[in-house]
Amino acid sequence: MSNELAISPVETTEDRLLRLVAGGWIFLLLLALIAIFLVLKPAQFGSGYNVQQLFINAAILLVLAVGQTYVVITSGIDLSVGSVLVFASVVSAKLMLLLSGAGGTTYGTTAAGWDIIAIGTVAALLVGAAWGAFNGILIAVTKIPPLIVTLGTMGMALGGAQILSGGVDVRAMPELLVTHVGSGRILGIPVLVVIAAVTVIIAGIVLHLTRFGMHVFAVGSNAEASRRSGIPTTARLIQVYAISGLMAGIAAVMSNARFSTTTINGHAMDNLATISAVVLGGTSLFGGVGSVFGTVVGVFIPIILLNGFVILGIPPFWQTVAMGGVLILAVWIDQLKRRLRKRG
Amino acid sequence: MTKTIVSAAVGLVLTSLSASGAFAQDANTVALVLGSSGSPFYQAMQCGAQARAKELGLSLTVSAADQFAADAQIPVVNAVTASAPKVAAIVPTDMQALIPPMRELAGRGTQVITVDQTISDPSILKTQVLTDNKAGGGMAADALAALIGKKGKVLVITQPPGSLAQDAREAGFAATLAAKYPDIQYLGPQYQSNDPQRAAEIVTSTLSAHPDLAGVFSTNDQGAIGAITGLRQAGAVGKVKMVAYDAASAEVAALKNGELQGLIAQSPSQQGAVAMDIAAKLIAGQAVEPVTMAEIVAIGADQPELADKYEYVAGCM
Repeated sequence: MSNELAISPVETTEDRLLRLVAGGWIFLLLLALIAIFLVLKPAQFGSGYNVQQLFINAAILLVLAVGQTYVVITSGIDLSVGSVLVFASVVSAKLMLLLSGAGGTTYGTTAAGWDIIAIGTVAALLVGAAWGAFNGILIAVTKIPPLIVTLGTMGMALGGAQILSGGVDVRAMPELLVTHVGSGRILGIPVLVVIAAVTVIIAGIVLHLTRFGMHVFAVGSNAEASRRSGIPTTARLIQVYAISGLMAGIAAVMSNARFSTTTINGHAMDNLATISAVVLGGTSLFGGVGSVFGTVVGVFIPIILLNGFVILGIPPFWQTVAMGGVLILAVWIDQLKRRLRKRG
Repeated sequence: MTKTIVSAAVGLVLTSLSASGAFAQDANTVALVLGSSGSPFYQAMQCGAQARAKELGLSLTVSAADQFAADAQIPVVNAVTASAPKVAAIVPTDMQALIPPMRELAGRGTQVITVDQTISDPSILKTQVLTDNKAGGGMAADALAALIGKKGKVLVITQPPGSLAQDAREAGFAATLAAKYPDIQYLGPQYQSNDPQRAAEIVTSTLSAHPDLAGVFSTNDQGAIGAITGLRQAGAVGKVKMVAYDAASAEVAALKNGELQGLIAQSPSQQGAVAMDIAAKLIAGQAVEPVTMAEIVAIGADQPELADKYEYVAGCM
């Protein structure tokens, strides 16, 4: 994967500065969007209620997108995140239903305790990480392109979820999970947002401040050079996909808590939503360049656009057009910056 | 020249923005949240609602997510909640997942009604505008039985389980066959996920297994379009009788040229209009019925005018 902009594991100050400028543009766009909506509809857009909703709506996608950031930095792609989420949520929900002894037809919520919820959560994380590791092994060991591997596992995980559930959503979630995690608050902050924030911060620290993170960038810049300089590239790739799967597992628990049902027919566009967030955030699809902060900004742009457009009463089709336009515009400006940087 | 156009466009945008700003202060604000954008059915509902809202002097805003899925729709409902309309008419895409955001909406002073679909806890709703999908499935069974002389093998093409309306149509169809037509052999449902290609494959492979297939019922328009393609591919148009739910333009055309023999149509524009009538009553503080049933009609191949009348067209787009 040749990339003249590839950042060597040790960034120069200039590199870092330029990356901030390139990434910063999209952050300015986000601020501009917020400012426009605030000016046009201050009472509605700027209300505490709306701000909270924006964060809750971003929470699940944020967790998925952070995993996707790792994958894209290695110049890979993970199309299976939405399906793995659905699979993990079905496994977790089925297991909790079974353990709580409630019938399969139970509607609404069950009286399962925290012990059962903990087992369900661990199951979701393990199942998610296992799908990710499966992706990683196929990609790193058999050298099948990530696009094909994850396209395949996307179908397998969704089909598997439908087999396990008979295609019918598991609707009986533990009451405690729904009230304390799905709509619960810690110090006034929604629990879902707290989970997302903690996950994002940990993922950011690991990516930007540890040796493991440095290896991830190195593998994405030049896999062969990394291998020759002693980085265990196969193991790193498997770990990166396992992280993406693990994130899908975390997101599955959040999704179960939030919707109080599995959402088998949803999450179909999560893969593209996360990839576009990652790309909006300045992470290069060619690998080696990227940041978690950029991805966070990239997640918020479509969410704020949708919210603002609905509040302004702009017809739905225009939202779709605007979101597509912003994506292309953002990447184009990013390219211009990169070209300028190259010339300078 | 270009300058004039640009300034005119900018002026237009500014006026429309300030106009929408003014509407927010209006006491007659109504929000309609569709099941998904880009579906002829929901567009027809939008047109029906817009026309009636204009007559009633309501300030209507319509919004929708780009997919029929709870995770895509909830952010839209949240934004509607933030905009605080007097009445919100919502097509909930999941009977359970939409309860918390809709409860929030109701809790913040908006009067909430559901249209076309509903939620499992109607206590937060002012009313529900519904169609009886099970009865519609039964009407399809009666129509298909009449077409095939009350005997032979029939197949249903529907969505995978989990969609309440589609499940009810299949269940109503199966129940009516079991109760009234002992000589009809029901081959069971096959699933397509809004994918005409899949529906076509189902029809051709079923014809390989059962060359004496007598009839097909599709529970929605995408399945019908695919099934017709499959019949055409197998040279079985007219030999295998077909009845389909909905009255999308492609289905109405197929009915007229003999590829389809019956339609079970709803009236989305009527549903949209009824929702606006209810919204106006709620704003005026009048009482409304807890459930309002919307009509369903069976249309035969000899009733092209009726098909035209019920065709899902978004004439206002």
